[in-house]
Amino acid sequence: MKRIAASLTSLMALAASFGPAHADGETIAVFTKNQTNPYFQAVRVGAEASAKTLNAKVIQYVPTKPDSIPEQLSQVEDAIVKRPNAIVFIPVDYKALVPAVEKINAANIPVVNITDRIASGNLVAYVGADDYNIGLATARHLLNAIGHKGNVIILEGVKGTLTNTDRVRGFNDALKENPNVKLLAAQPANYQRLQALQVMENLIQSHPQIDGILAANDPMAVGALEALEGAGRKAAVIGINGSKEAVELIKSGKLLASGDFNGFIQGCLGTEIAVRHLRKEATPKEIILKPVVIEKSNYQAYETPVEQRQCPKLADMATQ
Amino acid sequence: MSVAQPVARRRFALPPHLAQTAYRLFAAALICVVLAASSEAFLTTGNLLNVLRQTALLFLLASGLTLVILTAGLDLSVGSNVALSACLAASVIKASGYASLGFLTGIGCGALIGLVNGILVTALRIPSFIATYGMLWVLSGITYSYMGGETIHGFPPAFRQFGSGYLFGVPTPIYVMAVFLLLGSWFAQRTVWGQQVYAIGANPVAARLSGVPVKRRLVLVYTFSGAMAGLASLIILARINSAQGDIGDDLTLPAIAAVLIGGTSLFGGVGTVGGTLIGALILTLVLNGMNLLQINAAWQPLVTGVIVVLAVWIDTVTRRTTE
Repeated sequence: MKRIAASLTSLMALAASFGPAHADGETIAVFTKNQTNPYFQAVRVGAEASAKTLNAKVIQYVPTKPDSIPEQLSQVEDAIVKRPNAIVFIPVDYKALVPAVEKINAANIPVVNITDRIASGNLVAYVGADDYNIGLATARHLLNAIGHKGNVIILEGVKGTLTNTDRVRGFNDALKENPNVKLLAAQPANYQRLQALQVMENLIQSHPQIDGILAANDPMAVGALEALEGAGRKAAVIGINGSKEAVELIKSGKLLASGDFNGFIQGCLGTEIAVRHLRKEATPKEIILKPVVIEKSNYQAYETPVEQRQCPKLADMATQ
Repeated sequence: MSVAQPVARRRFALPPHLAQTAYRLFAAALICVVLAASSEAFLTTGNLLNVLRQTALLFLLASGLTLVILTAGLDLSVGSNVALSACLAASVIKASGYASLGFLTGIGCGALIGLVNGILVTALRIPSFIATYGMLWVLSGITYSYMGGETIHGFPPAFRQFGSGYLFGVPTPIYVMAVFLLLGSWFAQRTVWGQQVYAIGANPVAARLSGVPVKRRLVLVYTFSGAMAGLASLIILARINSAQGDIGDDLTLPAIAAVLIGGTSLFGGVGTVGGTLIGALILTLVLNGMNLLQINAAWQPLVTGVIVVLAVWIDTVTRRTTE
């Protein structure tokens, strides 16, 4: 019985895919990790913008509890029942969500993976910017700015997450290229602003000279800035995310730089690839965006709110 | 009433309680000695004030919670209460430019949430664990949709003084902590209402039979806990100069830990606000020490966990032997 049902659904999917040509109006389900991080908001806006120009529709799936694995798993099941034409997927955990991708594959719904690369599964394409290279590029920018010498501190995000591991690995590799830079401490602040403030207040006590701070995300960078200001100290600080607040602080000269993932562009490209795939057009199998370090010479482009930005052309990005 | 009060008084005047406080002070002192011996930076005025400023924030959250736990209840919504109160207060300060309006909003919002918790626990008889757990989700939902992933930042310097300013060389939050330590201890130990809170925690049926207005006192306690969360949210705002939806994450469990390390029993009726101050101090000292000694990030939660379990275990053992 189950097998019949399964073959029926796959037949239906087959019928759907060979049915009348997809002029437009496809539904794309977009999965993001949470409501709190502006990065995922940018992804959602990018997906909507791209869908609008292509005449497709977007349904957003966001766990109410940030980064909840069970919730995203059940949202995937819900989505499969509602049968969107394609799925754009950011797994809240790159390993734990493999079964979800397998279910999507079994239901014959094409899936484009963006941001965090899923450990396995059949994908139409992957679009992302890797954390390691962004960590490396942003740290290099800071080490260059402090003249390749001095004392630095690393503020780590949530221990055990892939993003944090890769970003910190990038930081450390940049440090290895600079033998005259001393790493004073690498301490956790869990991507949180208040924790970063308090950890920095503590570290300021034991380190009279701090030249640079490498924070694994923007909120921690801003927390570190507050601690420095409170203690009447100065140091070059970088974050990662390219958030609106970081851009404003770069403009006012307080923050040195922020590594950018460009959630907006990832949302755009993921959705466009999904739609073009449905329309039987050739699409790239993988796009890795180049790391961008937002700093005082290029911040202007990031001042435009995401809602007003234009999606880039897929062809331009694919050949990058 | 006439029966409950002497019972509560006697329980409180028993020597074990003083002994518990002494053990805890000894533990805090021991941590200080170890840290002073292993890090030169620890025993400096700057660092000690820094530790107290960080303790202040944790204490304010935990002090309201102490009263709730004294009644054998629990308030799991303090962190999400902080988030919503902070975000609303931040919007008001940004829109009006008045720090005072922000204060009213933050504390008002916190107290209102506490009041609703109190009503859920008393009028609807929902166990506090469940009621405030539900509230946690409701508040996060409201906060996330209200903020929409945005950050509000940049407050007037006058407002920021409240969190990051100094008065006679001492950070402002420390004064706020001192005021609420005295106020909380006075309320719990020296007022009839405070003694009724202990009586409710020790035995709610006996308290009710002896004339304690149990429901009204419970509503009061939850409202107070909410208001303290609102107050703490203002200190956080003033300190980090910004508000975002996840500002209250990772605040509830440390606050509960501070209360437990401070010797307040989850079963109610036993504990003091002063004990919670020592609990908050111990937790903060440990974090400060781990930063100063550069303990690997991966080990830090483990150390905190061991200390909570150890503190409660020592409590049970010493109580058994002294009683």
